[in-house]
Amino acid sequence: MILRRRTLLAASAATATAIASPAIAQNYPRRPVQLIVAFAAGGSTDVGARILAAAAEKDLGQPITVVNKGGAGGQIGFTEIARARPDGYTLGFINLPAVNTIVLDPERKAAFNMESFIPVVNQVLDPGLIWVKGDSPYKSLKDLVDAAKKEPGKIRACTTGILSDDHLAILMMQEAAKVEFRIVHFDSGTQQLAGVMGGHVDVAFDNVGSVVKRVESGEARGLAVTDVQRSKFLPNVPCTKELDYPTVISSSTRGVAAPKGTPADVIKVIETAFLKAINSADMKQKMDVAGLALKPMVGAEYAKYYADLQKQAQKYTEWALKMR
Amino acid sequence: MRQGRLVATGVMLAFCLFALWQSLLLSLTDRLGPGPGFFPFWLALIGAVLALALLFTTFREPIDPADAEVRILPHGPGARRWLAIVVLVAAAAVAMEIVGFRLAMLVFNAALVIALGERRWWLIALFAMAGSFGVHYVFTTWLDVLLPAGRIWS
Amino acid sequence: MEAFHHLLAGFAAALTVKYLLFALAGCVLGTLIGVLPGLGPAAGTAILIPLTFSLDPTGAIIMLSAIYYGAMYGGTITSVLINVPGEAASVVTCIDGYQMALQGRAGSALAIAAIGSFVGGTLATVALVLVATPLATLALKFGPVEFFALMVAGLCLVVGLAGKNMLAALLMTVIGLLFAMIGLDPVRGAPRFTFGIEELYDGIGFVPVVMGLFGVAELLIAAEKRQARMIQADLKNWMPTKEERRASAGAIGRGSAIGFVLGLIPGVGAIVPTFMAYVIEKRVSKTPERFGKGAIEGVASAETANNAYANAAMVPLLALGIPSSPTIAVLMGAFIINGLTPGPFLFQERPELVWTVIASFFVGNALLLILNLPLVGWWAKLLKIPFSYLCTGVLIFCVIGAYGLKQSLFDVWVMLGFGIIGYLLRKLDFPIAPAILALILGPMMERSLRTTLEMSGGSFAIFLDRPVALVLLTVPVIVLGALLLRPGTFSKLRETDTD
Repeated sequence: MILRRRTLLAASAATATAIASPAIAQNYPRRPVQLIVAFAAGGSTDVGARILAAAAEKDLGQPITVVNKGGAGGQIGFTEIARARPDGYTLGFINLPAVNTIVLDPERKAAFNMESFIPVVNQVLDPGLIWVKGDSPYKSLKDLVDAAKKEPGKIRACTTGILSDDHLAILMMQEAAKVEFRIVHFDSGTQQLAGVMGGHVDVAFDNVGSVVKRVESGEARGLAVTDVQRSKFLPNVPCTKELDYPTVISSSTRGVAAPKGTPADVIKVIETAFLKAINSADMKQKMDVAGLALKPMVGAEYAKYYADLQKQAQKYTEWALKMR
Repeated sequence: MRQGRLVATGVMLAFCLFALWQSLLLSLTDRLGPGPGFFPFWLALIGAVLALALLFTTFREPIDPADAEVRILPHGPGARRWLAIVVLVAAAAVAMEIVGFRLAMLVFNAALVIALGERRWWLIALFAMAGSFGVHYVFTTWLDVLLPAGRIWS
Repeated sequence: MEAFHHLLAGFAAALTVKYLLFALAGCVLGTLIGVLPGLGPAAGTAILIPLTFSLDPTGAIIMLSAIYYGAMYGGTITSVLINVPGEAASVVTCIDGYQMALQGRAGSALAIAAIGSFVGGTLATVALVLVATPLATLALKFGPVEFFALMVAGLCLVVGLAGKNMLAALLMTVIGLLFAMIGLDPVRGAPRFTFGIEELYDGIGFVPVVMGLFGVAELLIAAEKRQARMIQADLKNWMPTKEERRASAGAIGRGSAIGFVLGLIPGVGAIVPTFMAYVIEKRVSKTPERFGKGAIEGVASAETANNAYANAAMVPLLALGIPSSPTIAVLMGAFIINGLTPGPFLFQERPELVWTVIASFFVGNALLLILNLPLVGWWAKLLKIPFSYLCTGVLIFCVIGAYGLKQSLFDVWVMLGFGIIGYLLRKLDFPIAPAILALILGPMMERSLRTTLEMSGGSFAIFLDRPVALVLLTVPVIVLGALLLRPGTFSKLRETDTD
């Protein structure tokens, strides 16, 4: 509770000052800006980040270089961002709930906490997707749950990493449907794909953006989107809310953040430039093609989302840790 | 040589024992079976056994008289060059983040080629410049590789 | 055959001046990237993605693919010339390639590498055209269980390489595996053996370690010997002699097959086929004692397998949309950014694009050969530069390579430290290759075992259900055990035929 309030307070204070500040920095940016992505090149986060960087460059007036600092489930990259000089020349993409779960797991010994970042602009909200192979015997979420009830601990469900949003989604599903899956952790979306397609696991808890094209082509079958509404990319796939699992809401959120201490007027410049890029038609088109849902959030809205997610993540992370 | 091998194997044995101790600090089993300490533990154990076996067989080897001539650690005039490389690379590593890549490498280049025997000052200067400023330009401007800028400059 | 028609159309497109130039640019850039240490194909390809934003999708893919296999060859150049592997798989080439260079035969080594790469790449692409989709689907059946078994088999093979020095090789393998355990463990995702050093959270960097063990150690050894130049021998003619060519032919054939088959399996990594091809070549050779001292078959088999693998690794991407390695994942990212999703869908929707890309693989392989073969003589001459300059120059590159990966000074220290360690190990006759392989395979092994156990719910019985894995697991272990327990292993350790 205290954690949430403090985070909310800190985040909104930072953004409030940013909005209230009268003067926009006249001499920023004067040289190229670095954008750190905590995951490997070519992945969903990276693709979104590169599209955004290319678009925002024009509005910012300086080149934006994407730097991949992958590894340790994002921890390496996030640490870099938290430690960077808060002068506005090093920014980063933060992935929620990845940042949350790393902070919440005491064994990870994270060198940062929720206050280490100032969330500036959110870009993508990629809702979770439960999917199976196209020729799988499970034609609906109900089929899956029934099968899981009949054979507790036998149906193999995979994630893209320990304590990833996928992992949390499985735990939510287990709680809501009172079933038990056999959880298998892979290291990336790619391995997950190979795992399902090769028949080594039965169902994948993933995100819409990673698999949208395959669902469209029929290679994969989407059972449910873990959101309060259907995904516009997959209109035929029901959402968990309409399937009577309103508590199973999970997604991967990715946005731009600055290290704590970055001056408010600099933040304002960044926010304006990136927001403009996100709302541009070119950006929308490119993201649509990539299957990534845009959800721009700034200021107090983003700060609140940031804090709310922490609370939700806390509950399930503690549960996951107890299972060790 | 034999002495050298014995020492090296001894070091490896010590390393394995250390790893053994460290892995005992981690849990060996968990809900699903092997925990994080499981594999390091068994590997360290096998490693220690192998090291002991190697120590044993190395001892038992007949001593080859030619072996005694072989010195493991660098010695003689070659040792100076060897040391020059190690010390200068270390110095450059330390200096790089303080004064920046270009300055550190400039000094490093000149110092090392001189230590390795070079005397033509114009060639040294040219090479030192190319190997520091030139290389820096190529890597940072064309290839987007970030090299240290040096703390004292910013 | 419809495929054939598509391929012809693809050739027509790939040979247009525009795409030819892209392929050429890719090959040149790729080779340069491969030569520069630490800037492996993955990082280099990622850097060049922004470039391709301005090109049309087909052009972009052609160029990026050319960069990918161009970089594979670039890595060979440094392996042969200065014993610094440009990237992981080039480690094997160092073993015999560098020895050949010391004997003045750098030209032949590089030439046979270029020829072998060409043949391997072309054969792999031919096979790709003929059997892409059905084989790719079959390869998917190779899951974490089989993976683990394959890694174990690979390690056993390499230890078996060591001949009479097997005890030491086995010990080195174990130590390599222990080093591989540093980092986040696959069980909890918590740091293990990191002692609070955050740079170790992702494991001990492979590139700095190898650059140190191979490159820096080599320089230290040469410095101590007070050589005026790196190599004393005269430079021989760069074309391989008739005997060399004949000897390599078999190696090239076998290397192509091994590289192709393993390239179909996503996630294997280039080093496994490269090592396997080398070891198998040594086993079938009538004169195995030459390996490690400059046997051209060693270079030929490794390089061919390497390139066959690189081309075959495109199969899972094109046929199924599954990238085989981080580098290919970057390639896939480029596809996606340009609005395309690789996979069977793409084959049907945009056949002209896919077949043009495939045709350009053939073209690119040929270009690589045409580009590099004439330059081989010049590369070899580099070794005649006075040692003071060569040594310093190599060190500059190594430092940049080690630092540039993650902007980490720690990696530079790792490189230096392992340079000294490598120097000592070489002087004491301890085989390094098994440790390197263990360092690379270790994390994959542990992860796949962990995933296997998650899949089976904790039961090891899953291995009994999977015949392929069972065979891969038990046969090499049994063979290794038999070799180890032979009389003589424990008494005579002086006679070695290691690297």
